[in-house]
Amino acid sequence: MSIKGGDSVRAFIIRKNAVSDWIKHLARKNSVSFPQRAGHSGFRFKPVLETSEIQFEHYRPTLAPPGKQLTPAREVLFKYRKNATADPMLESVLDSQARVLAGVRPCDLKAIDLMDRVNREGFSNPHYLTRRENTVIIAHDCLQPCDAACFCAATGSLHWRANADVFLTSLDDEILVECLSERGIALAQGDHFTLCENTEPHKKRAEALRTQPFGRQFPVPLEQLPAIIAKQWQSRVWEKHVEHCFSCGSCNMVCPTCYCFNVVDDFNLADGDSGTRTSTWDGCMLPNFSEVAGGHNFRPHPAARQRHRVKRKFEYLSQRFQEPGFCIGCGRCARQCTAQIDIFSIVSDLVSQGENDPCVP
Amino acid sequence: MCAMTHPASPELDPELYLPRMASVVAVESMTAREKFFKVELSKPLGHRPGQFVMLSLLGIGEAPISISCGPRHDNILEMVIRNAGSLTRVLHRLQPGARVGIRGPFGSGFHLDDFNGKDVVCIVGGLGLAPLRSLIQPIIAQPQRFGSITIISGCRTPAEELYRDELESWSRMDQDKVSVIRLVDKTANLPWNGKIGLVTAPIPDLKINPARTLVALCGPPVMYKFVLMELKALGIPNSQIFVDLERRMKCGVGQCGHCQINHVYCCQEGPVFRFDRIENLQEALQ
Ligand SMILES: Cc1cc2nc3c(=O)[nH]c(=O)nc-3n(C[C@H](O)[C@H](O)[C@H](O)COP(=O)(O)OP(=O)(O)OC[C@H]3O[C@@H](n4cnc5c(N)ncnc54)[C@H](O)[C@@H]3O)c2cc1C
Ligand code: SF4
Ligand code: SF4
Ligand code: FES
Repeated sequence: MSIKGGDSVRAFIIRKNAVSDWIKHLARKNSVSFPQRAGHSGFRFKPVLETSEIQFEHYRPTLAPPGKQLTPAREVLFKYRKNATADPMLESVLDSQARVLAGVRPCDLKAIDLMDRVNREGFSNPHYLTRRENTVIIAHDCLQPCDAACFCAATGSLHWRANADVFLTSLDDEILVECLSERGIALAQGDHFTLCENTEPHKKRAEALRTQPFGRQFPVPLEQLPAIIAKQWQSRVWEKHVEHCFSCGSCNMVCPTCYCFNVVDDFNLADGDSGTRTSTWDGCMLPNFSEVAGGHNFRPHPAARQRHRVKRKFEYLSQRFQEPGFCIGCGRCARQCTAQIDIFSIVSDLVSQGENDPCVP
Repeated sequence: MCAMTHPASPELDPELYLPRMASVVAVESMTAREKFFKVELSKPLGHRPGQFVMLSLLGIGEAPISISCGPRHDNILEMVIRNAGSLTRVLHRLQPGARVGIRGPFGSGFHLDDFNGKDVVCIVGGLGLAPLRSLIQPIIAQPQRFGSITIISGCRTPAEELYRDELESWSRMDQDKVSVIRLVDKTANLPWNGKIGLVTAPIPDLKINPARTLVALCGPPVMYKFVLMELKALGIPNSQIFVDLERRMKCGVGQCGHCQINHVYCCQEGPVFRFDRIENLQEALQ
């Protein structure tokens, strides 16, 4: 099969009950992850097995976002082995295993796009980009909000398509399969697929099925948020929302656009001569995140750390990457927070309370 | 060398986090907490004044350390290391011949051309002299290229003064070109041939022409606010002041997020900043 002249999208229709077979078929040859039920706590991206339950529509966003598969919680940067007579042997560890991330929602798709930029611009991160280069993404449209916590439409994520290789849209008992890259085309092969010459009627049908308005909305358009939040340094809102915060950093760990890390060395106790240098997830809500030698801490108060986290999503990175929002509205931070602190409410309060009201130290 | 089968893209550096190995050629005690290290690399570091390296010991860890020597053609790198924790404690035990890992140089640093024909004032507190020596050395070495240089160096007690011999020898140079003011907060009953007071004290009496003067500052976070107030009173515009800031740094390459000051990455745009570019940046000096 080849792409028709000048047409970069190749589309198919597949029956809904054939999707599971297709994903399992892919999983026989590739490493495929799909969101699957995990205990009582919801869904996780897990390897697809013959017994896996594959259904596209009804899952709450996974505890860890799919993009975290591209930056594991512990990433070995290099291995070393010391040598009595010569220099140590150092070996950079890059993971080039081919993988398929399937069942990715538009919000997480946008997050991966943002992380691609973070890891590509400036010094590019070889560990992330090697994994990313070998990852194919099968994403799918959301026609209903996942739950009350998400606000993807407000953050401009709901209609994200850019970096999907295959994009699926559910239509009653069929699914529209759009292949957006050569690698995507290679995945959509087999008897299940009927070529679709004109996708427009299907997309219109999907749009008619989509809930309106779609989930929670900010009081102002996303593009206005960076400028509004930039004016809020001493707002009372920072203290208000941090009152019950434990500074546990869970909100950082589950966030698809939190990427800060620490670096630690480990040596093999058995021989003492070999070991690794590893990056591990870190979070700006943790108390010592910005402490330097001598004990000085640039953000000692939880409210200052919360301010940093929120401003990072809606102001600092927006400014750096010319992208209005780095929060993709997945709602994970609020779902996981023991104190039920919700970044949507913080931002909404910042917008509505507006004026500076000195109180944060 | 690397376990990679499909490089992500040709320009990608798969060894971004791999240190180059270098040999310690000299270690000298400077104070109870600081040691001077001279290491030899396999090729010149090629740095600007004010840049830093990520220095590491395999199996122990990695830390940002300022380059303490001016730009040079040989393979030597000089650093001052304070015993402050797990890595630096082990570094203090090293003997000549030991191997260390170096990544970098990183950061903005100073551009010497900005200083051509200018009078320069360096104000340093404590360990701040270590990075600024990389600026002082080339300025003193080329008196025809630069104007005069004034060094105001303060520390808590005489026992904590770094590079004493050098400060003293600089102070014996041509008075029109080089002046050195050495201060301690208190003498703690130790012999002392400098002044007593804070680094802010001599600033109002500096005989300078604000129009042709550049100032470089490096010291503990508490120092900046007060020094900047004095400089303002002297009429030096913020665009002629450079500050060298410290932050926690884990990568040096703009990826780990630790050094972020609002939207600015201190390891990339800093640690040396022209002050007017960060004067409105919250948290920069606190
Ligand atoms: C740009 C820059 C230049 C520096 N130049 C010098 C120098 O020339 N000489 C020198 O002695 N020190 C310098 N430092 C400070 C030095 O990096 C820290 O003292 C060192 O990281 C401590 O490491 P450790 O493993 O010995 O201590 P740890 O056991 O890791 O911690 C001891 C203390 O250091 C803090 N700390 C830990 N990691 C870092 C980090 N990555 N960055 C900053 N603080 C940290 C901790 O919060 C703790 O308070 C510089 C720091 C920066 C950011
Ligand atoms: S998850 Fe909640 S309690 Fe924990 S640091 Fe984040 S806001 Fe604070
Ligand atoms: S800040 Fe919260 S809602 Fe926004 S992307 Fe991160 S986890 Fe999702
Ligand atoms: S030190 Fe890691 S981002 Fe600056």
